[in-house]
Amino acid sequence: MTLRNVGFIALFIAAVAIVGVSQWRQLSQQPIDDPREEVIFWHFWGGRDRQVVEDVVRRFNETNKQYRVRAVAMPGNNLDVKLFLSISGGAPPDLINQDDPLIADWAERGALTPIEEIASPAEVAELREFLFPAAVRLTEYDQKLYGVCNGLDIRALYYNKTLLQSRGYEAPTSLEALNNIATEFTERNSEGRITRFGYVPDARRLWAWGIVFGGDFYDEDSQTPTADDERIVQALRWMGGASNRLGVTTSDIQAFRQGDQSLPGKPFPLLPISPDSPHGRYALIIDGQWRVRDIMESYESRTSQNLPVAEIGVCPLPPPQGGEQNAGWVNGNYFIVPRGARQSQGAWEFMKFWIGLDGHQHQAAKTCAAGGWIPVSQRVVDDEAFQNFLNEQPLFGEFVALAASENQHPIPMTPGAPYFNREIKQVGESAMLHREASAEKLLTETNDRIKHHLERLKK
Amino acid sequence: MVADLLKRLSTLAIFLTPWLAGFALFTAFPFVASFALSFCRYDMISSPEFVGAQHYTRLANELASGRAFGLAVFNTLYYAAILTPLSIGLAIVLAVMLNWKVRGQAIFRTLFFLPSVAPVVSVCILWLWLLDPRDGMVNYLLRYAWVGPFNWFTSPETFLTSGRFGSKDGLILMGLWGVGNWIVIYLAALGDIPHSLYEAAELDGAGPLRRFWHITLPGLSPVIFFNLIMGLIQSVQAFTQMYVVSEGVGAPAGSTLVLSLHLFLSAFQDLEMGYASAMAWVLFVLLMTATAGLFYSSRRLVHYRGAVR
Repeated sequence: MTLRNVGFIALFIAAVAIVGVSQWRQLSQQPIDDPREEVIFWHFWGGRDRQVVEDVVRRFNETNKQYRVRAVAMPGNNLDVKLFLSISGGAPPDLINQDDPLIADWAERGALTPIEEIASPAEVAELREFLFPAAVRLTEYDQKLYGVCNGLDIRALYYNKTLLQSRGYEAPTSLEALNNIATEFTERNSEGRITRFGYVPDARRLWAWGIVFGGDFYDEDSQTPTADDERIVQALRWMGGASNRLGVTTSDIQAFRQGDQSLPGKPFPLLPISPDSPHGRYALIIDGQWRVRDIMESYESRTSQNLPVAEIGVCPLPPPQGGEQNAGWVNGNYFIVPRGARQSQGAWEFMKFWIGLDGHQHQAAKTCAAGGWIPVSQRVVDDEAFQNFLNEQPLFGEFVALAASENQHPIPMTPGAPYFNREIKQVGESAMLHREASAEKLLTETNDRIKHHLERLKK
Repeated sequence: MVADLLKRLSTLAIFLTPWLAGFALFTAFPFVASFALSFCRYDMISSPEFVGAQHYTRLANELASGRAFGLAVFNTLYYAAILTPLSIGLAIVLAVMLNWKVRGQAIFRTLFFLPSVAPVVSVCILWLWLLDPRDGMVNYLLRYAWVGPFNWFTSPETFLTSGRFGSKDGLILMGLWGVGNWIVIYLAALGDIPHSLYEAAELDGAGPLRRFWHITLPGLSPVIFFNLIMGLIQSVQAFTQMYVVSEGVGAPAGSTLVLSLHLFLSAFQDLEMGYASAMAWVLFVLLMTATAGLFYSSRRLVHYRGAVR
């Protein structure tokens, strides 16, 4: 036998051994004598959130006698393609967690099982009553629930309380007050470079401001987009007018905003970046509840180093006259049951356990407190476990209060929602980049394109 | 004799089968299927539904209006038309310089080649920092030349139309950083040019520039031609860098929405596989036409050193 042959045989044995060991490890994690039905659950959670998810699964598996959940962490990118291929191939998972505005698109294509087909009418009625209005809107299409929301992402206005109070200002409660703060706290250094913006609208926030101004992006009755609604035009005009109000160029704003959130290592821009000053790059900024964690970490880090700290507060987006109170744009995570799932009943049991329905509110409260997530029901919020969390994280309370508001709206539930979303963000960018652009014209053109796209999908 | 030939053929078939199977399954079949799907409405779940040339009509309308596909074509052409010649020019200049017999030549060659082996996503993150309008090194250095500052990745402007650098120019700058692969090819080609030609030219009194123009460039022309075609194809197919710097949507204001990104969004976000397939075929035809045009013009412009053509 030549040396080369010996090498080949050794390689073959090594390959078999590696495959064998990995298979054995996988099999050894599955209890072969477990008589319960297995529920396959795909999710995309990573980092410390994944531990929370695994803990929920563990608690469910410890208590449920009929079903056993097997969580499979999938990369978030192209999860939808994998799902579609699994449905087409006849082997979909039993449950998926998603966060993109895709429910209507997928439901229209017959990829999802409505909850009405899994749960009894009484259970569905109870679910609707249990959930916050925003949580229902996130999963409702064509008067059916095509998913179950398990966590809301709420945007609110973070403000630097210490900075505002140093000049006699409080949290803005009206758009006029916000404009005053924006102008008052926008500062330049001796070279003329902007060092801080009081507030400057983010082009991506037209969804939020459009709703706060009282606009409606979609008419449910006629099933047509209404992005050219007069209130939304006003909101866009106000956003595009920021540079004029602040006495800066659009270029100044774009340069300042670069990398506020997209670059790794860039901190939450409201937080201090210098050891000497407790203030960040903005006096006010819109962001979600997940920033509370960043604020707490920054606070603890700076106090341990005896560095100055500023107090941060949270308030709802201030409306203009005639606008909506406690309003804004909401998204969140939701469960969906793919068409063809084998264990839809097991999936339903797990969903109830996770969100806190059917007497599981204490378990749900523990989950939300562990993950720093907003519950989807007041019953979970009222649970002792979540109340203890709120006592430790008072900033979170404002987000929870907003979650209960009737005026929190998601992207319209219509097929073509991803396109709708892109177009609205793009029109926000156009208005912010070109101050001479007419908001009305921009939105009319945008609305026509969305309308055309949605009609094409309906055909 | 025949038995021997059959045995050789069967051996050949055995060795070729895995590759042929892979090619048939993962290249040939999708290639043909995408053409058929370009005439259908298809979302990966429902069965494809024949819609005729609807997608191609839509592409033509969008091209005429300058929106969606039209915008993507403009962005792609701008990127390809500027990046490809600039890359070729820069790579030739650098290759000629790296061919000079100086101390540390190997180190310089390694340094210029290194960026081309860096992962694209890492390179994008690096360039996002370098081109940061406020804190980036590029704008900082440009200040000393009394130029800028430019909003590289936050502005839809283009240097050619406004005199100010914008997002597409930032992407081109990023592309230029990765010319190391091309430099290697040019270095190999430079070594292939007979030294006797330079000696003869020198004896005839030709200076360095004349030698470069009349000997180096014609000597490199087959490689320049190869790189021109490859560069064109690569820049038209560029995707990752646009996806990273534009947060996956072609921001700001659609200025980085190139064909491949538009195709990706249409196929995997809007689930319009038929429309995306039609776009892919238009892209294929455009590239084939451009390549054929280049091959045709190469007859007069490329010097094959006496090769029979």
